[in-house]
Amino acid sequence: MAMHFIFSDEAVLLFDFWRVHSPTGMALSVLVVLLLAVLYEGIKVGKAKLLHKTLENLPSTSSQQLIPEPDQDSTGSGSTPANSTRLRWFLCYFGQSLVHVIQVVIGYFVMLAVMSYNTWIFLGVVLGSAVGYYLAYPLLNMT
Amino acid sequence: SDHMGMNHMGMNHMEMNHMDNNSTMPPHHHPTTSHSHGGGDGMMMMMPMTFYFGFNNVELLFSGLVINTPGEMAGAFVAVFLLAMFYEGLKIAREGLLRKSQVSIRYNSMPVPGPNGTILMETHKTVGQQMLSFPHLLQTVLHIIQVVISYFLMLIFMTYNGYLCIAVAAGAGTGYFLFSWKKAVVVDITEHCH
Repeated sequence: MAMHFIFSDEAVLLFDFWRVHSPTGMALSVLVVLLLAVLYEGIKVGKAKLLHKTLENLPSTSSQQLIPEPDQDSTGSGSTPANSTRLRWFLCYFGQSLVHVIQVVIGYFVMLAVMSYNTWIFLGVVLGSAVGYYLAYPLLNMT
Repeated sequence: SDHMGMNHMGMNHMEMNHMDNNSTMPPHHHPTTSHSHGGGDGMMMMMPMTFYFGFNNVELLFSGLVINTPGEMAGAFVAVFLLAMFYEGLKIAREGLLRKSQVSIRYNSMPVPGPNGTILMETHKTVGQQMLSFPHLLQTVLHIIQVVISYFLMLIFMTYNGYLCIAVAAGAGTGYFLFSWKKAVVVDITEHCH
């Protein structure tokens, strides 16, 4: 295994079927890796936004227990809406865990692509991370 | 409220520098399971460079730690799964510790010129830890452990063994699911007043 960066039009990336022999194939592979890096940056922002949404959908019962309200009438009513809110929160939270798994896997894939020590692929990853960061982070509106 | 703030400890665990390998590679046994040889150049690939599923002659991190049977692979799967879960838990625990120990909030108020010649007071809020405090030392130790485990997980993923890679991903997902649960509830309670 080469342990230094090389410029080459031949590479094997991640899977047995992903073999690159030609400049066209390399260009396509660089594009795919670039999009993977963009997706990785986007997912990081997406997860933060999902977390925000999860906190908005927090089941109201847990916060009511800790902040005692002067009138106890409001706690008894609305058991059915509270259940649907709880389910919505759970789905939000489960979705967040799935997004986390995808983020971990994509992160490792990008790392393994860089490990091929192909300079074109590496540049694709760097450019993709830059583009992804540039596009995604402004969407993180800080409240 | 800062629950929308980017969690750098959680997000940057993959952005680590590739370790540059100055020493010679230890002799790797060529796995006999199904994955293709590289090119026809006569030189055998010592390390698999594509994903494969197998449990024969799989070297794992340390010399002497070789998987040869399905039973050993199952054991390795569970161990890697638990390691990835522990990693996620450690990240969450560090965040919680950091939040709890950030009690020293300093407010600096400075007069700044405003429109129409008025003077406005601008207040800067600084949150931090003292360097020689126990929480910071504990954070440092936990950071080292976190870095080492993250590199181990990367090296495990680098074996390109399908079973072990799935164990890493599934462990990370399960750990995130179990440990972020508490974080998702706690964060809202503590920042309710913002």
